[in-house]
Amino acid sequence: MSATATIEAQKGSAQPAVQPQANHIEATGLNKHFGKVKALEDINFGIRNQEFVSVLGPSGCGKSTLLRIIAGLIPYESGSATIKGEAIHSPRPDIGVVFQTNNMLPWLTVRKNVELGARIRKMPAEARDQAVDKVLEVLSLSKFADAHPHQLSGGMRQRASIGQALVLDPPILLMDEPFGALDALTRDKLNVELLRIWQEHRKTVMLITHSIAEAVFLSDRVLVMADRPGKIIEEVLIDLPRPRDAAATRALPQFGEYVAYLGKLMGVTK
Amino acid sequence: MLAPFLKERTGQSGCDVQISGAATCEARKTPDAYQGGANMSGVSPRLVAYAQVISFFGAFLLFWEYGVRYFEVKKYILPPISAIAVAIWESRDQIFEHSMYTLAEVLIGFIAAVVVGIIIGMVVYVSPFAQRTIYPLVTALQTTPKSALAPLMIVWFGYGFVSKVAMAFLFAFFPIVVATLGGFAGTAKNLEEHFRALNAGPWTTFTTLRLPSALPAFIDGCRVAMPLAMIGAIIGELVGSDRGLGNLIMLGTASSRTDLVFGCIIVITLISLVLYAAIEFAAKSVWWRGIQV
Repeated sequence: MSATATIEAQKGSAQPAVQPQANHIEATGLNKHFGKVKALEDINFGIRNQEFVSVLGPSGCGKSTLLRIIAGLIPYESGSATIKGEAIHSPRPDIGVVFQTNNMLPWLTVRKNVELGARIRKMPAEARDQAVDKVLEVLSLSKFADAHPHQLSGGMRQRASIGQALVLDPPILLMDEPFGALDALTRDKLNVELLRIWQEHRKTVMLITHSIAEAVFLSDRVLVMADRPGKIIEEVLIDLPRPRDAAATRALPQFGEYVAYLGKLMGVTK
Repeated sequence: MLAPFLKERTGQSGCDVQISGAATCEARKTPDAYQGGANMSGVSPRLVAYAQVISFFGAFLLFWEYGVRYFEVKKYILPPISAIAVAIWESRDQIFEHSMYTLAEVLIGFIAAVVVGIIIGMVVYVSPFAQRTIYPLVTALQTTPKSALAPLMIVWFGYGFVSKVAMAFLFAFFPIVVATLGGFAGTAKNLEEHFRALNAGPWTTFTTLRLPSALPAFIDGCRVAMPLAMIGAIIGELVGSDRGLGNLIMLGTASSRTDLVFGCIIVITLISLVLYAAIEFAAKSVWWRGIQV
């Protein structure tokens, strides 16, 4: 029980660390309905600059809806949602979004797919080529630049999808269960890769996930959501040392404690 | 010409009747199913497959040739295949000239159907008004038997070239509109959202996403429409014309030249096959058809 107590204490100490004025992403009293169904109720949270925050919750709890609101893809009804203090009403150029289904255009090569965002946002050709080269290298996809998506494995396609978001080097990255459709092994590998990228190129990240281990391994904080209606029931500070390491971090006793605690919150364990 | 048929056969080589025993099962496999490149008799499976096809059609032609002689079928009912070949050869200049005329009708009608089909398909896709008005109209017209419109086309556009182009157009138009619409509507929702997240403008989204997404369906529409354009043109010629293969068929029938009629039918079929092959060839550039990633 002592482990839980420690976590409770940390959770308490997390509150004052969230300075409203320093928040990159902020939601206050956010509500959203789909017809008569209440999708989100009174959502309050903030994500600081270069902070990695996961939103953890069961399927259908509205976490994807929350991400779409932050991404400016769907409207919200009441409350406020801001990025860098500006109200969100449409997709912003300083945000990169990675969805659960990879968004590869089957008729384009990996390279063309990755540079799509840069093309659409009219980045100058030279800068674009450099950015694409760099992203492909970071994601170890350089060798597959001229392959078509259907020739890649699911994990590689998902990596390329992350590349689509990274190519514009956005300060904010929103990820909606980016590894949800992958097998456990590939998912683990991509977690490690995402962590490495984030440690090298710090960004503000909001990661939607239903994997407890993924959330603990990657995040600074985890927002736990419950469903019907979707609301944030708890905020857990993940006080594991950084830089984290695939093997060492997961071997830490605290890692297991966080996983157990979050599992209890989500009703996985009693 | 034979290759696609051969390939198709190997697809059904599976033997699902387990009770009949392994031996029967082996025997049922088509030659290509043997991986070694040679079956038990040491003959290349490909060769065996070709031999099967050639002997089947050879037997069919021989049966036609000698069957009509043996049963003394009247020449104006069914001439022997050799007489048809002779008729084609003897009237080759005439057949060639009429073929070119019909081919021109078909191609112009088809191209017009493609252009108008794409335009209407796009307009209906982007405009809710057109979706409520033009689309039901197109759907209703699609169910009209187009052949019934042939006399009307001749009244409107005369005995000549234009009425046949109109017929080819009418036959080819609807499948293309429907396919184009289906293609646009079938654009993956997640990709549309992706483009929205990137703030892509409507034109960029159209050229980069919707158009390539719709191409496979559009090509399928063309595949259906091409033989229909030929049917349209021939019906038009049969109803009233002064030139074209349909006209030649009418002349042949009137003068009991059944050999020439058969010759025309064979030539029409060959032209249709060539046009279809051309579409198939063009379809190869839309290789992402059916690929889901």
